[in-house]
Amino acid sequence: MTRYVAQRLAMMVGILFGVLTVTFALSRVIPSSPVETMLGHRPSPEQIEAARQMLGLDRPLYEQFILFLGDAVRGDFGISLRTGQPVTEDIFDRMTATFELTTLAVILVILIGIPLGVLSAVRRNTMLDHSARGLSIAGVALPVFLIGMLLQMAFYGGLGWLPLQGRIGAEILLDYPFERVTGLYIVDTALAGQWTAFGSALNHLALPVLTLSIACLAIITRVTRNMMVEVLGEDYIRTARAYGLPQRVVYFRYALKATLIPMLTVIGLTYGFLLGGSVIVEFVFDWPGLGGYVVGAITKNDFPAVMGVTLFLATMYLTINLIIDLAYYLVDPRLRAS
Amino acid sequence: MKIFKKVGLGLLTLAVAASWAFAPGAQAAKNTVTYAMYGDVKDWDPSIAFSLEVMMLANVYEPLLWYNPPGSETQFTPALATSWSVSDDGLAWTFKLREGVKFHDGEPFNAAAAKASIERTRAMKKGAYYIWAAVDRIEAPDEHTLVIRTKEPTPIDLIASSQYGAYIFSPKAAEKGTEWFNQGNAAGTGPYKVRQWAKGQQVVLEKNPDFWGGWTDKNFDRVILRIVTENATQVQMLKSGEADFISLVPADAVATLDKEEGISAYAIPSWKNSQFLINTQKPPTDNKKFRQALTHLWDYEAVVRDIYAGHAEVARGAIPATMWGHNDKISPQKFNIEAARKLLADSGVPQKDWKITMAYIGASEEYKNSALLFQEKARQVGVEVELLPGEWGTIWSNAKKLETAPNLQSMTWWPTYPTPNDWLIGLFRTEEKALFNLSHYANPAYDKLVDDATSLEGSDRAAAIAKYAKAQQILVDDAVAIFYADIKTRIARRSNIEGLQVNPAYNAVFFYRVNRVQ
Repeated sequence: MTRYVAQRLAMMVGILFGVLTVTFALSRVIPSSPVETMLGHRPSPEQIEAARQMLGLDRPLYEQFILFLGDAVRGDFGISLRTGQPVTEDIFDRMTATFELTTLAVILVILIGIPLGVLSAVRRNTMLDHSARGLSIAGVALPVFLIGMLLQMAFYGGLGWLPLQGRIGAEILLDYPFERVTGLYIVDTALAGQWTAFGSALNHLALPVLTLSIACLAIITRVTRNMMVEVLGEDYIRTARAYGLPQRVVYFRYALKATLIPMLTVIGLTYGFLLGGSVIVEFVFDWPGLGGYVVGAITKNDFPAVMGVTLFLATMYLTINLIIDLAYYLVDPRLRAS
Repeated sequence: MKIFKKVGLGLLTLAVAASWAFAPGAQAAKNTVTYAMYGDVKDWDPSIAFSLEVMMLANVYEPLLWYNPPGSETQFTPALATSWSVSDDGLAWTFKLREGVKFHDGEPFNAAAAKASIERTRAMKKGAYYIWAAVDRIEAPDEHTLVIRTKEPTPIDLIASSQYGAYIFSPKAAEKGTEWFNQGNAAGTGPYKVRQWAKGQQVVLEKNPDFWGGWTDKNFDRVILRIVTENATQVQMLKSGEADFISLVPADAVATLDKEEGISAYAIPSWKNSQFLINTQKPPTDNKKFRQALTHLWDYEAVVRDIYAGHAEVARGAIPATMWGHNDKISPQKFNIEAARKLLADSGVPQKDWKITMAYIGASEEYKNSALLFQEKARQVGVEVELLPGEWGTIWSNAKKLETAPNLQSMTWWPTYPTPNDWLIGLFRTEEKALFNLSHYANPAYDKLVDDATSLEGSDRAAAIAKYAKAQQILVDDAVAIFYADIKTRIARRSNIEGLQVNPAYNAVFFYRVNRVQ
């Protein structure tokens, strides 16, 4: 077990090095002009030269790479050309926003998707199964920005129940101060006992979380259903039924358990993907997260930010994968035995 | 099974229900105005800021003078200077400064502070520092007098009203340095103080109770600059009244928005103009007749009407029509295929060489569509146009070097401070190494004309204008660019906002001067 973890960690370092090398190479090969981006709309030749030197762009490529690696190992990705702030700080600020959004979305997806999948499997080919399928397909088929905008139009424009954009009400952020302990607004406001701010944060989460959940619901529901259908045909389920165990126990204690491994994989991959991939939702709802940050960085050739975020996301993704693999040990006694 | 249905439904409604459970209670009523910005403030340091920051700067800081919008009775409104004069030789500008003014950090405003601000901006060599290039030295003979001495006659009154690089800030703040500013700090003398910066979310300004201009009940207490990156979202916020102003107004949305109850949307002239600079050194556009032919292949009316949705005017020369010094005797260049055909034939350029390249910012729909239209018109007379869309930094780098420069280069320009020489020198004066003169135009007679005019700007503005007028005509005669559009600014706001006077000299709303009609 320990050896396995050590192996995986070593592999992670290798992969991350690869990711760094490729992103570095790409960012220097693509014709671009980061300096002009940084300096704004009318830089003088002296300013351009000074900025090139500051960024080390006047040095040979291999030297730039070594310098970059040295800084990266120390967690220093330099200053973002676009925001003028340290990239590491930017990432931390924005990561917590993304984390809050995607974690809640994944929880919602699990809470709805798994029971829905089980139900569809149990009541195969009934109205319920068909509507669940219809719903999931719609969630996948509709572009995320469309779902987001439809929800905005309904709940903000039409009903006026929920806020349109942002993480918290503008004046609430001002009038109900709370300390940033975790960076998660619903946690920080609760810790500070600022319930008005807590409510506002929760309100602002509703639509983006819902949008993201709808977009990811399908895969979890479908995987659960298909696995369940398979498992429900197994002999041990028939035996359990023959013993006269309550249906609830049969489905959730015996059948669902057998689907956990593929389920964990799907949930893990979805989560990892969402951490970097909620770009569109963040854009539609002006969520100040990593997604919006990375898009801005890419379009403006802000290479320190692109490198920083790429490495960060790769690390997150690999870590989640590792955790999932370790979780297999927990849920599958056969693996523990070997 | 029922239990799961309940869980599902329950969760879906929980989010909505929370809105009532935690609805904010009645707050102290603040008179708040909200502006939807499309990007965050980057450079907080007033010596460096050179972009979107002007929305914050113009409300938090003050220069010595404000420039008045075209059509005003006087050219300036006194800000931190109450009166000013220039010596007969045009080399010494004396400003009497406002007394009893304090910076937001409590430091007194005086001549030493004004001198220190301008000197710091010059020394930092960042942003718009170059506007002060002609300054020789700055003196503070007494607490409330500032003397700016220049190497040659220079319009310091105009420069002091620049939207960038001319703000006066607390010397204590300057000591703390750029890093302190970039944490969202400011210390100006303006009507609003920076109260909060939530990165990527909002900047909140709150009234400075000590502002020398005083306060009435009608003034806004709070200004929220909310970051909203998407135009559909901005429009929804404007419709609901959550935003009073929006910054992204799609050209085709102006008319529909204006019909909405409670919203006013319109377009008014700005000092931004767009042109395609024609390379005067690279064949075949080094040939004047060939260049003139190109200016006749541009369908000016169609571009402005259809591509810019009417939110632009056909340009007449290099200077926007509402800018002082514009030569209104210049007639607009004309779309005329026959004239182009004749000029091409007369040019002496063999037809096999009628091939040109055209570079523009690919992300701009307006450039792209205008270029496509031009390409088609040119094809009709046998000129082959190769389109080179790209990202600004890249196309700019290419255009600076003659070897990689295109024949036609897109350029949208606006002045840092209100002067026609910003275009006439910035874009067209001879440059040893091209920076923005991407026509690579070199004409000593023209250079002398604009240099002379510049030195007359401060002392004899009428004489300066006459010289600028000549210079503009030369540019048109030499066909150094396809001057095609004076761009209008699109405004969309709640109709109950009153007192808004849009000033092309500043890309900002002066929130102190507007209020909400009850």
